[in-house]
Amino acid sequence: MKPFLFLNLPNTEFNSSQVDCNHSMAHSSYPYGDPIFAYGPQAISHPQMIPPMLGLASTRVALPLDLAEDGPIYVNAKQYHGILRRRQSRAKLEAQNKLIKNRKPYLHESRHRHALNRVRGSGGRFLSTKQLAQSNAEFVTGAHSGSDPTNRYQKEHLSEVESHSSKDGDNSSFITTCSDRPCLSGNNVNFRQQECMFLGNSANMGGSPQFSGGLTFGGAKQRTSVVR
Amino acid sequence: MGDNNIGKVLEREGFKYNFTAAASDTSAQDEVIKEQDRLLPIANVGRIMKQILPPNAKISKEAKETMQECVSEFISFVTGEASDKCHKEKRKTVNGDDICWALATLGFDDYSEPLKRYLHKYREFEGERANQNKGNNNTYENNIANI
Repeated sequence: MKPFLFLNLPNTEFNSSQVDCNHSMAHSSYPYGDPIFAYGPQAISHPQMIPPMLGLASTRVALPLDLAEDGPIYVNAKQYHGILRRRQSRAKLEAQNKLIKNRKPYLHESRHRHALNRVRGSGGRFLSTKQLAQSNAEFVTGAHSGSDPTNRYQKEHLSEVESHSSKDGDNSSFITTCSDRPCLSGNNVNFRQQECMFLGNSANMGGSPQFSGGLTFGGAKQRTSVVR
Repeated sequence: MGDNNIGKVLEREGFKYNFTAAASDTSAQDEVIKEQDRLLPIANVGRIMKQILPPNAKISKEAKETMQECVSEFISFVTGEASDKCHKEKRKTVNGDDICWALATLGFDDYSEPLKRYLHKYREFEGERANQNKGNNNTYENNIANI
């Protein structure tokens, strides 16, 4: 509950500091007294960086004071009821003790133990035996025939390799990253196969820095174009 | 109800960013809501954050977790508005049009228009699923390029 509130405060303060008060057509009474609105024909120019919620036609309404430390918090009038509804939902979950207090470093105990038992090389990455590497090479060769799911997994692996390289060998983060993979696949067999295949690719790329860099850059380009 | 709505939004978001994460719907019980049911997968969130950054940029795990909370709360915020509309109209299924309407109602007009176009292209893409795999890939690329 509290983290959400903490996150809400800066956003609303940012909104209130950026936009002056405008006349509110949908004025409603509050139990904490009437808020004072400043009137003025100020013309506000909004650059692209400002969030779209700060439109020229937007008006702001004061939220209840129970969560504000210094004065009322003004929000977009269109979002007033939505924010109150979300507060009620979070309060309800809080009352039922359904919100997670502490995050687990992993989601599944058995997979966590399996990852701990795997052999690791320099930098904390998992190692694969030669036999697995050979079978992975065959699997990758088969993937080139145009299997969409396999291509998708390859792309994911490339981005994960970037993630690993950017963590400077942080083992705990590495473990967490590995534990996140079960979220992507509910089938253990598929998980192991993909894992072996990915490690095979990683081992191949490890021997050729330029080749690895090229693949990473290409992958980034593809994903950028998809987003556009 | 809430979990189902969040699941549907997850599916849509998953398609747009090539997710393979599947949101598991759980019945309302007296248990703690699982992390994977309340939040988007942190690996996918980190991947999306990386797309806009230079290749050598690094993102701390705390940043990913904070963004995880922000995007999950935003999804609940928009979906709650759409769910309210469906409840008033005696409907049980929240669809893409309801999400676009909720975004416009909450003042996110700049997001609502692109998502309407995206939803239109997505439905066209679904209608052409009978094509060959290669044809599907080309259509997918064209649709993404047109958005």
